[in-house]
Amino acid sequence: METKTERIYLWRRFTLREAVLLCFCATFIVLTRAGLRLHLHMPGHVMFFTMFFMLLARGFVPKLGSVTLVGLLTSLTSVLLGMGASGPIVLVKFLLPAVLVDLAGFLVPGFVTSALGCLAVGVFASITRAGVSTGVEYLMGMEEEIIIGKALISAGFSGLWGGLGSLAVPAIIRRLRLNGLIDDGTEGSLDA
Amino acid sequence: MANVPAKGGLRRSLRSCDYGCQFAAHDSPVHRVGAGTKLVLGMLLSASAAGGRTPATLGALVLVTLCYYLAARLTLADLWRDIRLFMFQAALVIPLYCLVHGTGKGLWPGIRISTQIILFYLPGAVFLRTTRSSEVMRGLRRVLPYRVSFLVFVSVRFVPFFFREIADITAAQRLRGAKLLPRQQLNPRNWPDLFNCLILPLMVRALKTADEVARSAEARGFGAHRERTFFQADLLIRNAGEAGTAQQSEPSAPTEKLLQGNEGRAVPRCTTR
Repeated sequence: METKTERIYLWRRFTLREAVLLCFCATFIVLTRAGLRLHLHMPGHVMFFTMFFMLLARGFVPKLGSVTLVGLLTSLTSVLLGMGASGPIVLVKFLLPAVLVDLAGFLVPGFVTSALGCLAVGVFASITRAGVSTGVEYLMGMEEEIIIGKALISAGFSGLWGGLGSLAVPAIIRRLRLNGLIDDGTEGSLDA
Repeated sequence: MANVPAKGGLRRSLRSCDYGCQFAAHDSPVHRVGAGTKLVLGMLLSASAAGGRTPATLGALVLVTLCYYLAARLTLADLWRDIRLFMFQAALVIPLYCLVHGTGKGLWPGIRISTQIILFYLPGAVFLRTTRSSEVMRGLRRVLPYRVSFLVFVSVRFVPFFFREIADITAAQRLRGAKLLPRQQLNPRNWPDLFNCLILPLMVRALKTADEVARSAEARGFGAHRERTFFQADLLIRNAGEAGTAQQSEPSAPTEKLLQGNEGRAVPRCTTR
């Protein structure tokens, strides 16, 4: 468990232990992404574990910026491991949902223990990811009607998978908190 | 990755990599170009793809991008692996266009957009196929603070560790009767097993490992200073070689050379506290 004597390591906010824990969440996203890309070819399925681990990261470290850090690390690790074919766009693909989860955490600090809260955030954040590829298509000059049609299909699948992944988070967070493995998130409300 | 002939037969020998955008270790002109140059070149090609609307421009762009791809000594099988996902997307976009405008009017715009999207992403695939992780890492270190680049490194370093952990936990839980086989996971009724028997123990392991890594790094004084030094064996050997030549004329040169960083500025000496 964290002690009061721990030195702040990153962004005047995270201790080294918290930063390493968040980077493990990024590792898990990359691992599951790699595993799924080899076996499944279903649209949006990547969001299942992406949202699961992003919300879990928020539960582990209930501070503003924690999920953004996970998003940043995931995109950089993906590029390093050869999973970021979309180039710089991979940064936005992970950062955008991460920032949204952080924003939700800022507005409703305790949402990770609520199934409904997690579902709403998971679906909404997953849908924004679909919006990134829509932006690229708009740049290519695709017609708005087609963009909307395709975006709806893509957002629907992403939202569905993201929502399913998010639903599993509250139970895990509650069990880890009950066993005293993570903080309950009530202290340091300014950070949250 | 190098080719492994024999067992898989002809199909396996046709491709040089196992999955899309995986680094392929060849000796090609594109491999020899620096990571920064490749990034700039890729961005130029992607930007051109966004601008190319006429058949002539698009044809020329396809030709240039293909030449760039094949100059990296990548095969057509590799190309298929890299663009496979976008081909599925094309299979969605072209019928959508045909549905809205009719086959006659909608076919060309559908093909054009699909080609543009493939051309937009392909230079990124070439970058990943031809650039080593260590090169990207070195580049990252120049643009990112060392505290963040350390986390990226830890993230990459722990991929095989957690992969082993997942395999170990899965094996142990399956012996206890947990339904964790991929085939069994197709049934949603077995999903609680996935979360209770695999994910939860994995999270506990991650929490403990994070604790150990942080304690271990802090015990070594990591993160105590704003700047840090890096051990770069290749730079050390090169500088030592140059210093050896220069030693005859100027005796003080080796020490200064060895203390030079990548950008030519002096790096702080390692201190023990």
